[in-house]
Amino acid sequence: MILDLHTHSEASEDSRAPVETYLKWLARKHDVLPLDGIVLTEHRQWEPAKDYRRLEDEYGILILRGAEVETDYGHMLVYGVNEDITRRFDFTDVRLPAQVLITEVARLGGIALPCHPGRPTIGLCEHYERKPPLDGVVAVEALNGGSRRGENEKVERLIQRYGYNAFGGSDSHLVSFIGVCATAFDRQIRSVEDLVAALYQGGYHPVDFRNDVKVST
Amino acid sequence: MTLEYDRSIIGTVFDHVTAAPVTAEAILEYIAATGEVQPPADAADLVAPPSFVVTVRRRHLLPPLLGKVSFGFDAGKDIHFGVPIRPGDVLTSVTTVHDIYEKTGRTGIMAFVVVRTVITNQRDEQVAVVDQQMMCR
Repeated sequence: MILDLHTHSEASEDSRAPVETYLKWLARKHDVLPLDGIVLTEHRQWEPAKDYRRLEDEYGILILRGAEVETDYGHMLVYGVNEDITRRFDFTDVRLPAQVLITEVARLGGIALPCHPGRPTIGLCEHYERKPPLDGVVAVEALNGGSRRGENEKVERLIQRYGYNAFGGSDSHLVSFIGVCATAFDRQIRSVEDLVAALYQGGYHPVDFRNDVKVST
Repeated sequence: MTLEYDRSIIGTVFDHVTAAPVTAEAILEYIAATGEVQPPADAADLVAPPSFVVTVRRRHLLPPLLGKVSFGFDAGKDIHFGVPIRPGDVLTSVTTVHDIYEKTGRTGIMAFVVVRTVITNQRDEQVAVVDQQMMCR
C-alpha cells in the first residue's frame, strides 16, 4: 500500500491546492502515481471537524490527517493527533520542545517524526551538529519531494548512523506535486491508528516517482 | 532576530484613505501596462480589470504600532473581488491588522503580519478585500 505521508492543502497558508483537486490529479495520473492514499499534514494546525469521507468515497483514495509542527530540532510530522495531544501542545508554537513532543505524543497514542531532516535550520541533521540526539525517534523522512540537491543525501548518512526507519512524502503544496515521493507499506492501512501502528512496527520504505512524472521545481 | 510584537494590535485600524476619483486614463494606463484585454471602444463601457485594486495605496505599509521592524517583504496577497470599478468611482480603503503568526523556514523564525484592506466605493459597495502578508523580522 502506498501513501504520501506529507502533503499540504489550501488549509496551510503557503498552499493553494484544494484537496479534491489533488484527488482528481491522482486519479488522472494513476499509471505513474499509483497511490492508495494521502496524509494531509497542514502547518501548525489541527482542525478536528474536518471530514473527507465523501471525497474518499468518490475518488477511492484514503485520506488521513496529521500535522506538521515546528520544534527546537526542526519540523516534525505528527500522526494520530487526538484531543489529548492538542490539549498538551499548542501547534501554533514554533518553538515546541522536540524531545517532549516525541515522548508525549507517543504516550498519548500518536507518533512524531522529523521531516526533511537535511534542510538547513528546520531539519534534524543541522540540529544534531550542535545538540545531543533525541530519544525515541522511530523514523525520519528520508525522501522529501521539496528537498534541494544534497538534502536527501544528508539524511542517508543520518539513517546509517542512528538506524532510523525511513519514509517518504512529497511535501506537496501544489497539485502537480502530490505523490512524487511517498511511502510503500507491506500491509493494509485503513485508518490513522493503522498508520501509527505501522510506523512504529516498521515494514515500509520511501518510494520516488519523480523519474516517472515530470516535476518542475 | 525575531520580531517582538503585541498581539493586542490585531483588529486595530491603522490606515484609512479616501482617494481621488478613478479616472478613465488611469484604467486605460493599467490595462496597457498589464497587457489586459483590449479596452472597449465606448468609454462609457470602461470597467477596470479586477486586479486594478492593487493600485489603491495606503499611507502605511506596516502598522506603526508594530514597533521596530528590521527586515520585511511582501509575502503575497489574497484578494476577494467585489463590485467592478468604473471611471468616477471614489475608493476608500480601511486597513486593519488581521493576523500575526510565526513560522520557521530555511532562514530561521519569521513573523508574518497579515494586513486586511477593505476597499469600498462611494455607494459603500465592497470593491475588494485584500489580505496582504508581510514577512517581518
